[in-house]
Amino acid sequence: MLKIENLSVSYGSVRALTDVDLQIRGDGVLHGIIGPNGAGKSTLLDAVCGRRRPSAGTVHYRSEDITRRSIAWRRRHGMARSFQRTSIFQDLTVHEQLRLVAQHLGDDRLDDVIEVMDLAGYLDQKAGRIAYGVQRRVDVALALIGRPYLLLMDEPGAGLSAAETLHLFEHLRDLVRERKMAAVVVEHDVDAVFACCGTVTVLDLGRHLATGTPQEIRADRRVVAAYLGTAA
Amino acid sequence: MNSDTRTRTGLGHDAVGTFGGQSLRLPLAIAGVLIVFALGTVMPTRFASDFVLRLGNEGLLLGMLALSVAFLMSQAGLVALGAASMYGGAGFLFAIAMGEWNLTPLSALCAAFLILVVYAAILGALIVRTNPLAFMMLTLAAGEMIGHGVMLEGLRDYTGGADGLVVNFKGAVLGMDAADFASPGRFWPVAWTAAWLAGLALWAVGRSRLGAILRAVRENEERMRFSGFDTYLPRLIGYVLVNVVAAVAGLLHVLNAGFVSPESLGLSISTNALVAALIGGIAGPAAPIMGGLIFSFAQDEFGARGLTQLLTGVAIVLFIVMFPRGVVGGLSSAARRLVQAIGGRRETS
Amino acid sequence: MIALLIANSLALASLLIMLASGLALIYGLRDVINFGHGAIYMLGAYLGYTVALVGGFWLALVVVPILLALVGIAFEYLALRPLQNRSHIEVALVTLGLGIVLGQIIIFFYGGVARSVDAPPILSGSVMILNLTYPVYRIFLIVMGLGSCAILALWLGFTSSGLYVRAVSQDPSVARMMGINADRLSLLVTSLSTAFAGVAGVLAGPYLSVDPGMDAAMIVNCLIIVVIGGTGSIGGAIVAALLFGLVQVAGSVFLPSIAALVPYALLMVVLLIAPRGIGRGRVLN
Repeated sequence: MLKIENLSVSYGSVRALTDVDLQIRGDGVLHGIIGPNGAGKSTLLDAVCGRRRPSAGTVHYRSEDITRRSIAWRRRHGMARSFQRTSIFQDLTVHEQLRLVAQHLGDDRLDDVIEVMDLAGYLDQKAGRIAYGVQRRVDVALALIGRPYLLLMDEPGAGLSAAETLHLFEHLRDLVRERKMAAVVVEHDVDAVFACCGTVTVLDLGRHLATGTPQEIRADRRVVAAYLGTAA
Repeated sequence: MNSDTRTRTGLGHDAVGTFGGQSLRLPLAIAGVLIVFALGTVMPTRFASDFVLRLGNEGLLLGMLALSVAFLMSQAGLVALGAASMYGGAGFLFAIAMGEWNLTPLSALCAAFLILVVYAAILGALIVRTNPLAFMMLTLAAGEMIGHGVMLEGLRDYTGGADGLVVNFKGAVLGMDAADFASPGRFWPVAWTAAWLAGLALWAVGRSRLGAILRAVRENEERMRFSGFDTYLPRLIGYVLVNVVAAVAGLLHVLNAGFVSPESLGLSISTNALVAALIGGIAGPAAPIMGGLIFSFAQDEFGARGLTQLLTGVAIVLFIVMFPRGVVGGLSSAARRLVQAIGGRRETS
Repeated sequence: MIALLIANSLALASLLIMLASGLALIYGLRDVINFGHGAIYMLGAYLGYTVALVGGFWLALVVVPILLALVGIAFEYLALRPLQNRSHIEVALVTLGLGIVLGQIIIFFYGGVARSVDAPPILSGSVMILNLTYPVYRIFLIVMGLGSCAILALWLGFTSSGLYVRAVSQDPSVARMMGINADRLSLLVTSLSTAFAGVAGVLAGPYLSVDPGMDAAMIVNCLIIVVIGGTGSIGGAIVAALLFGLVQVAGSVFLPSIAALVPYALLMVVLLIAPRGIGRGRVLN
């Protein structure tokens, strides 16, 4: 589904990502990305979804080299992204914005998304007026429209309690399994990641540190040293 | 990223989206609208003096320019300060087409219109990509560019330089000849109808999918791209559409005035359009036109040009700072609230 | 011939640098384009004329920037601060309105006619450099231009306030966490910007002209420069000013019939090639 090779991203003279290789299969598995602050996790998502141009390396999506493709193209071809700082349309009602995107992407099963993200009660309210937690659901819902093949999520648990985050992750895991999607989730809440993700990648200082099942990662000495400490 | 909506949507929440978002009690509203239209076409020519009609005509044409500014502002969050290019440019092109190229009035109108649309498309293609502030700067610069262009020594034979051009009008358009167009009473219905058509057209666009896309792009351009939308083309189309309206206003102006001068390409035309839009309020198709009428009559009151410009500047500041909805917009929203309070309808927004 | 061209370009660019960098500074810090910048420049020029009448050119060069710095302070407190929470477009429009008002007030007081300002005796006349006679005043302009660049560079590069301005210009969200008094800095930047515009206005007197249309003409030039330079990039603005000066002067020499349009052509070309401008200013929106 997704193959990243030798990916490097620089901001001016700062190297945010160096030589990252990663492969994500599209078999309904939730893939978590963890790492300390500044590890380059968000940058990785940015590079994959097209928001940042890599200074080196390639991104292959469904066997096609998409490194040069636009953000809009990627979305139209099934790569969706949700945002760390919720990015929705405050002045439109929930239903209006969902419908706008659904019409554009030719998705006639909007009700599915509404049901999955539990937004039925908020449809006619302006997005700017609803609670933050609900806004985040709208953010995710916008990404779910059009039955994407690959979902990229940037800290979906930000601003949520540990319990809420775990709940969200369980929800995502089920969703991804049901729809046979691939999902890459960047997250700080390590517990939720370990509990629900099938594979976990650890980044540190812009480099790929380790990839494996949660058990493998938890036991990996390098990871423990760099990030998890002894608490894991 | 989305936390600072005020800075991104351009004009605060007041002005967003009401252009096409109102729901009307349809049959009553349509009847009312048609009555107003019919009355407006006929009554002023019966009862108003030529002088008042002249001001009214000016007001309507300015109102159309204001409409173009208002639409782009409320739908796309972009302020275009280049309306004068279309307005004056239409005049010059028409005069040149009639004079130098010896076309019939109708072909001259079409030729001028076509050239203007192509120009708007090319310019738009270059500048619509930028952020709203840069866009504003660029429209101003482009407007000045055209103004300078007309004054070039080399083109003086063509454009008449500072003296402008008198239109050599032979023949008729829509059954009206030069004298008809020049007559305030007979021009009024033309201007009135044109203003209404422009308003209707832009209102329809506002309610259409394009309008929804423009408003969404205005609010959160990045998310639109992340939702698979091309955010460039809709804005370009919007830009060309409003310039079409401005071009029509300019063509009507030159038909009415019979001549064109570099003044009609000046920055003050563009700023007048802006002020008229702000006075009227930029939400809704009727408000800018009324703003144009108000401006036209107010300008007559305040005489000397120097004072008008001063008041223009003051008006810009005043209406942005204190009356973001404009006179008409503010009144109409007050009226709406009154009606709803009486009717007992709950407003969901 | 080339040397003359370059010298004239530098002279013009010096004025433009002073003006454009002021504009770019405010934009970088506050995300606001001051459309009234041309009017402030015009105020500087007309005030310079008046002060020069009374006390000479040099007095004007000292007094006018001070006066205009005060104007800048007033502008900051009366316009920019109260409108901080409004959208950038709205603030820009307000500056446009204020600029129009200021321009009209100046015209009202000075009667809407052009005024001539003479260069002081020391700076008038020409001097022989490398086989060319060149007006002393323009050399003075170039020196002033270089000087202001140097001051700007030193300030931006070596003071904490300069560092902050650079940081905010690059990325407003990060820099805000640096905890420096943003209000005071903004006041400094604004008054610097207007003071520089004042200097430019005084200097422009003997070189260009002091006439009622100068505000509109200059604001357009500045806007073009800021856009070419990459809105928010001060270094870009300087480079753009140099480029603009060169293009303007070259245009008037080689293509005199369309000289007025050459800067616009430059603008369009730059937009075509690099829609974000030359400099590496902030990532636009």
